Amino acid sequence: METDELLINMGPVHPSTHGVLRFKLIMDGEIIRDCKVVMGYLHRGTEKLAEMKTYLQFIPYTDRLDYIAAMPNNYAYVRAVEELAGIEAPLRAEYIRVLTMELNRITNHLVFMGSLLLDLGASTPIMYGFREREKALQLYEMLCGARMTFSYMRVGGVREDLPEGFIPRLNEFIKDMEMRIVDYEQLINDNEIFLLRMKNIGVISAEEAINYGMTGPSLRGSGVNYDIRKLEPYSIYPDLDFKACVRKECDSYARYLVRIDEMKESLHILKQIADTIPAGEIITTQKYGIAPVTGAPTSVMPYFPRIFTPPEGEVYTRIEAPKGELGFYVVSDGTTKPYRVKIRSPSFCNLVAIPKMVVGLKIPDLIAAFGTIDVVLGDVDR
Amino acid sequence: MIANAYELIVNILTAIGIYEPVYGFFQSFGLEYLLRIIIVVVEIVVLLVFVLLSVMFLSWLERKMFGWVQSRYGPMVTGPHGLFQPIADGIKLVGKEDIIPASADRWIFTLAPFIIFVPALLVFVPLPFGDTLILSDLRMGLIYIIAISALSPVSILLAGWASNNKYSLMGAMRAVAQDISYTIPLALAAIAVVLYVGSLSTVDIVRAQEGTWFGIIPRWFIFMQPLAFILFLIASIAEMGRIPFDFQESEQELVAGFFTEYSGMKFAMYFLGEYAHLFAVSGVVVTIFLGGWTGPVLSPIPVQITSLVYFIIKTYAVILFAMWLRDTVPRVRIDQLLNLGWKIMIPLALLNLLVTSFLLTARVI
Amino acid sequence: MNAAEELKQAMPAAVVSTGMQLNKPLAIIQKEELLKVAEKVKEMGFDNLSVITGIDYRDRFEVIYNFFSYKKKENLVLKIILDHEAPAVDSLVSLWKVADWLERETYDLVGIKFTGHPNLTRILLPNGWNGHPLRKDYDMETEQFVTMGEDGEDIVSTDGSNLLRRK
Repeated sequence: METDELLINMGPVHPSTHGVLRFKLIMDGEIIRDCKVVMGYLHRGTEKLAEMKTYLQFIPYTDRLDYIAAMPNNYAYVRAVEELAGIEAPLRAEYIRVLTMELNRITNHLVFMGSLLLDLGASTPIMYGFREREKALQLYEMLCGARMTFSYMRVGGVREDLPEGFIPRLNEFIKDMEMRIVDYEQLINDNEIFLLRMKNIGVISAEEAINYGMTGPSLRGSGVNYDIRKLEPYSIYPDLDFKACVRKECDSYARYLVRIDEMKESLHILKQIADTIPAGEIITTQKYGIAPVTGAPTSVMPYFPRIFTPPEGEVYTRIEAPKGELGFYVVSDGTTKPYRVKIRSPSFCNLVAIPKMVVGLKIPDLIAAFGTIDVVLGDVDR
Repeated sequence: MIANAYELIVNILTAIGIYEPVYGFFQSFGLEYLLRIIIVVVEIVVLLVFVLLSVMFLSWLERKMFGWVQSRYGPMVTGPHGLFQPIADGIKLVGKEDIIPASADRWIFTLAPFIIFVPALLVFVPLPFGDTLILSDLRMGLIYIIAISALSPVSILLAGWASNNKYSLMGAMRAVAQDISYTIPLALAAIAVVLYVGSLSTVDIVRAQEGTWFGIIPRWFIFMQPLAFILFLIASIAEMGRIPFDFQESEQELVAGFFTEYSGMKFAMYFLGEYAHLFAVSGVVVTIFLGGWTGPVLSPIPVQITSLVYFIIKTYAVILFAMWLRDTVPRVRIDQLLNLGWKIMIPLALLNLLVTSFLLTARVI
Repeated sequence: MNAAEELKQAMPAAVVSTGMQLNKPLAIIQKEELLKVAEKVKEMGFDNLSVITGIDYRDRFEVIYNFFSYKKKENLVLKIILDHEAPAVDSLVSLWKVADWLERETYDLVGIKFTGHPNLTRILLPNGWNGHPLRKDYDMETEQFVTMGEDGEDIVSTDGSNLLRRK
């Protein structure tokens, strides 16, 4: 019988491309013969915008990259500028930063879990995931008034101190989450259908994964024992007790399990921080930049410069964001605006491997593999 | 002995003394057949209203149950606990623009939704809702039900093809592949019961399940044919096209599968058809394996009422099971489903048939 | 001895100079020798190409490659300086698959050509877009309108003629 190949444009508007991504699929019946990724539908020119804003004005734009987990974006940029200018944040500020970032890792993985299961056809876990995420978002709201786009970090510290009653509520959240993760594991991990859909799907070996530029949990699912928090420790991570979660199976299921394990590790980190957070300043006392015209620094309104000129130079800083390695390449020419900001986003680089993973599989497998890569289109398109 | 609903109506009318004068009135014009037609039309209207109300209730129940499982409320605004939500949905759907894509095949595109709704209703003809509450006790009732159910992929294929949309076409192809591989175990599982009963009539099948073993265990075929029941249930859910087997419309893969291009009233037809099918198939499962209308007789209440209540309770139990399944599990992949159908379920059904016929021949059961 | 100096020792002709970029070893490379140097770098165990950055300095372009080694846990930065007229450099797709998209992005936004790239097309912006936005002389005044054609390809115009609805 004569058959013909079918071109399917999956996206840019499709229920399971997590936004506006488009797959150009050449199909032979149900089997994918070729897969091309088309993106850019959410491109906002963030890197160009950076060249037109001052160093501080650019912080809110970083929130809009990976809007599911915005705090690490804030931090990566702020840290790049701090390294460039040689500023160090006080210890309490670093503790608060790590606290918010780890909390964000949990919310990110909750969304990941929910949307992955939703892509597979189970519509309940996303509601459970969002129920817990809501509690974390309320914590954020308490902290900085925003739920998703925080703009909370500043060069040399954070915007505001922890509000009263934050730590007890955080402890409550941790206790609740620990129970819930057990629930999720019982509900999802051993589900026969889930295993059928996840095991041996989207397999990528460790060498290939590295070659294709995969990072973060997706790479750890391929058995590479790597975590920037461990390899190039930054902030207070050297003082904390946690481990990099690694799985050897290289398939979608391993990538899923890594993220579930990471949630537990993050909870462990949060617990340590809640117990040991020191008192002190939340913004550096080192005077940099030009002070605001009115008012002296107080505990409520600390000292934030509006205009700030780091010395000439360039720096590449990378951190372990929930989705992988997030890097900022910042070039300063000694003026108030960055000369060039290059964002190395984890979603973009992890997506490179998708065609490699799915050729020869079927559309449902593409969705499963794509779900376990965990991309956000704001981060891909920038 | 009253055989079906027609005779029941005649009996009731006779008992209250209306039938004779009315019959005489029609007889004086030589139009007795007209009375018979009127009675049959009344039966059909009652059934239709019952089915449509059930469908509306089911769509509410499904959403409500979805809500409860997901720790939220579900529809709450329209009416008490959102009970009138289906009506609001209906009004909304009727009010929507009926879009026919420019490149679609207009006739088939319009016809397909009706073709799916009609078989879903036709299944109710030989379905016993209670003792004597049956439209027609067909002698080959079970074959009729299986044959009519097998019509729905025809409509899905028509819809998928006529839409001229790649997702629709893929959904339709999946539906056909799925249906072919699941009608066979469905029929084989049912035949094991037929062998035992010795009749294809649904009433005979229910009557064979009356009584109890040891005074407690009802003589339902679920206990006599557990394997057949499991196979039949899985195949039925696949037939209904619900999660975990909802490939024809799998939202996350094919947008909405074969009804991607439908809107307004035509979309509502699919919606109604889906729930009518859910109700019908659950009713069939109850009839064949869960003892149909049988249950303890409460003597002062007419047996028609108690049996109807038993039937509805059992049917809703099966429906709730299907809904619960939808709320909890992910979807399997199409090739995994076909593997399950051809490589596991059909051999198991054949084995079950072999054992049953052997035991019957040896007069063990 | 850090990785950049090691590289200089191995290929003295290809490496113009070495230094440090904050705490990371940096080597400035002859642009003709990039592919050979990259092969050597991969041999040295730098298996992860983290990012490719293109920078427009008005009089020149710089392309910066950040490498990381999972085995040795070391960083290495390679820098190439290109003329401002028709900047072009060898592609690294044959060595690192991730370079495929990173190079396409650099081509798209900065306008640096990577010779030997199998599919050097725009990645974030639509095909047919005028100019490369991250160049300093990019014209930000002209509006550009994008629609999708019947075949799924992008159509770009500066006068909005493609936005008119078909009859």
